[in-house]
Amino acid sequence: MNAAVHADGLVKTFGQARALDGLDLTVRTGEVHGFLGPNGAGKTTTIRILLGQMRADGGQVALLGGDPWHDATELHRRLAYVPGDVTLWPSLTGGEVIGLLGRVRGGLDPRRRADLLDRFELDPRKRCRTYSKGNRQKVALVSAFASDVELLVLDEPTSGLDPLMEAVFNQCVLEEKRRGRTVLLSSHILSEVETLCDRVSIIRAGRTVESGSLAELRHLTRTSVRAELAGPAPGLAALPGVHDLTVEGTRLHCQVDGDALTPVLAELAAAGVRTLTTQPPTLEELFLRHYAGAAR
Amino acid sequence: MTGTWALIRLILRRDRVLLPVWIAGTALLPSSIASATLDLYADQAARDSFAALSMSNPAQLATRGAIYSAGVGGLTAWTLGSSLTLIGGLVSILLVIRHTRAEEETGRRELLSSGVVGRHAPLAAALVVVLGGNLLLGLLSVPGLSAAGLPAGSSLLFGLSIAGGGWALAAVAALAAQLSASSGTARGLAVSAGALLFALRALADAGGVAWAAWLTPFGWVRLTRPYAGDRWWVLGLLVAFAAVLSAAAFLLSTRRDVAGGLLPARLGPASGGPAGVLGLAGRLHRGPLAGFAVGFGLLGALLGVAARGLDAQLDTPQFRELAATVGGAGAHISDVFFTFMMYVLSQLVAGAALVSAVRARTEEAAGRADLLLSTPIGRLRWAASHLVFAALGPALLLAVLGGAAGLAYGDPVRVTAATLAYLPAVWTVVGIATLLCGALPRPATAVSWTALGLFLVIDLLAEFRLAEGVVLELSPFVHVPALLLGGDASPVVPLLVLTALAGGLAAAGLALLRRRDLAPST
Repeated sequence: MNAAVHADGLVKTFGQARALDGLDLTVRTGEVHGFLGPNGAGKTTTIRILLGQMRADGGQVALLGGDPWHDATELHRRLAYVPGDVTLWPSLTGGEVIGLLGRVRGGLDPRRRADLLDRFELDPRKRCRTYSKGNRQKVALVSAFASDVELLVLDEPTSGLDPLMEAVFNQCVLEEKRRGRTVLLSSHILSEVETLCDRVSIIRAGRTVESGSLAELRHLTRTSVRAELAGPAPGLAALPGVHDLTVEGTRLHCQVDGDALTPVLAELAAAGVRTLTTQPPTLEELFLRHYAGAAR
Repeated sequence: MTGTWALIRLILRRDRVLLPVWIAGTALLPSSIASATLDLYADQAARDSFAALSMSNPAQLATRGAIYSAGVGGLTAWTLGSSLTLIGGLVSILLVIRHTRAEEETGRRELLSSGVVGRHAPLAAALVVVLGGNLLLGLLSVPGLSAAGLPAGSSLLFGLSIAGGGWALAAVAALAAQLSASSGTARGLAVSAGALLFALRALADAGGVAWAAWLTPFGWVRLTRPYAGDRWWVLGLLVAFAAVLSAAAFLLSTRRDVAGGLLPARLGPASGGPAGVLGLAGRLHRGPLAGFAVGFGLLGALLGVAARGLDAQLDTPQFRELAATVGGAGAHISDVFFTFMMYVLSQLVAGAALVSAVRARTEEAAGRADLLLSTPIGRLRWAASHLVFAALGPALLLAVLGGAAGLAYGDPVRVTAATLAYLPAVWTVVGIATLLCGALPRPATAVSWTALGLFLVIDLLAEFRLAEGVVLELSPFVHVPALLLGGDASPVVPLLVLTALAGGLAAAGLALLRRRDLAPST
């Protein structure tokens, strides 16, 4: 079994609303998998099904080789979860919560705990009611990173962290990956996903719209081309696969489909090139392209 | 105060069901009790003898106070004065905390305060709605009372007295909300203060220290004497009490940070914590349970002391007759007294048990169950960890209540046993709540409290013969044998039946919980 998570055609409805509408998701063992989608796309619902907190209305799902609903207790020994909106017991201190979660998960590494508290700059003596959202998230993160599990399920884990803490978080995830752990990371922060993830799945309205490595996904999208030319290139606008062309004197800027690059470069070369910059699509562009139709 | 109006509209929107139910439900009671009194005691002679009997019953004196006039109006005001203030006061306390401290604790207040909302606006909005609601229910009760043939002026005074009682306790809650950063602690403080003020009135009327009634809003509500001399100026005491406490609350709110409290927050241990899910439940339940235990212990001791002299003091023909009707020939007056009081107080214990019974649901709604249930803890173990406290908590409270009463009276074994007999009835309420949490998670908490409220109303209606037969049988408390009076042939059977019923309800609730999706409120 080399897939930590395998979901096929998941369906979940809440009354009239169809939260998941045939969602597919495969997370390979040992990879960091980015799970992207706009608000309300079904990311949290998917995670809740994977954690056995909800039962899917249709489709197949396997988590670490088991059924997330029926084998929940057994499977939970092998994973740690950080919710997107961490709520803790107001009267317990952060240190006590970390201790409690560690014990019920079957122990945690005290040296790693101390190291993580230090790196995340978290005071474990404070009561949870006094923690900010970011600090509550740190409590859940320290507890998850310090526990000895195969799979980490992180639901928008950095939404309350400041940029310095985000950097600490990124290091921690990379360390986990080096130890061979699998990470499912739901996120909005594209730079984070670009830095950390081996593969991503993009979902929209309860369906998976793209899935693959970043390189594969980029192949499907457009490259940004900027050039300063010696003379005019009149044929450019007519080429198939050229988009958003703007020309200011001898400078031009356009977006080019992956398979149309060769004729475009030939056309530019014919006109004479002084400078040329091409940029691979950022994840942001990729993301926006898929979400453009999502606004309802 | 900027933004107060917007916040008032928000509160009205959030409580659009609760507020009308509370106001309309309470406003309808006085006129129905008035007409029931007229039906039951048709002529003045019947009313006089009923009043004389009631005045000789210390349990009645403790719960309702003195009867100032044996007319229909006087009896109605006596029947409802204390209980409507209790209900209105409790609703007012819960509402004020819900819209002030609870909002701060969850962080929603921060969101609003960053908009154009003045520092005092949240407290002002909560008070306007709650004080307005009390006033409205007081005024709405007047037409019904007039229609029942009672003088309009006195009816208005009665309505305003009830409203004033609600105002006083709303102000107590406003003050408590400033003191602690935890809404649970604030709620506990306000309810304890309310219980103390009620106990003071009970002691004044049943313990023969009448002047003490002038020290508490529960006393003032009766001392306005509607239909018995109409002392309007006593309303001023209620208004002044509410005004002073509210002003203090506003003053304190300027001296603290948003989400901060006046009681200091201290640092705690850096590691350790509960050993497991049962340990966690213990941490969550122990505070409220300890508070309730102290409260019921004090109340029990008070009852025991009050009951001591009763057998000699109340050796009147009327009371012997009452004791004989209720408990059979030769029944001790103190036994009748304890039987009455434990019946009423066991329902308060059920309220305390309900707090524990819906705790698992509260944890789920707040999203705290998500994190815990992502660990190898199964749902049943988690739910059971809370249910243990909902089952053993009331056993402890009833034992403390009965034990304290029995020790103070001098007959601990019998009184404790008679009090503990209510445990299966309390468990039934816990079972109902557990079933609801499994079947209908979102409305479970509200519906559970409503069910307990219905049992209380059934008792009140039964007393006036407005509910009979099957309806009366619905309340589990009705089925508890009065062990002190020893009338029942086999007291064990109903207790076993209730216990089995409670167990069945809870088991069904747990089975449903295992099968359904978790339902956080967000």
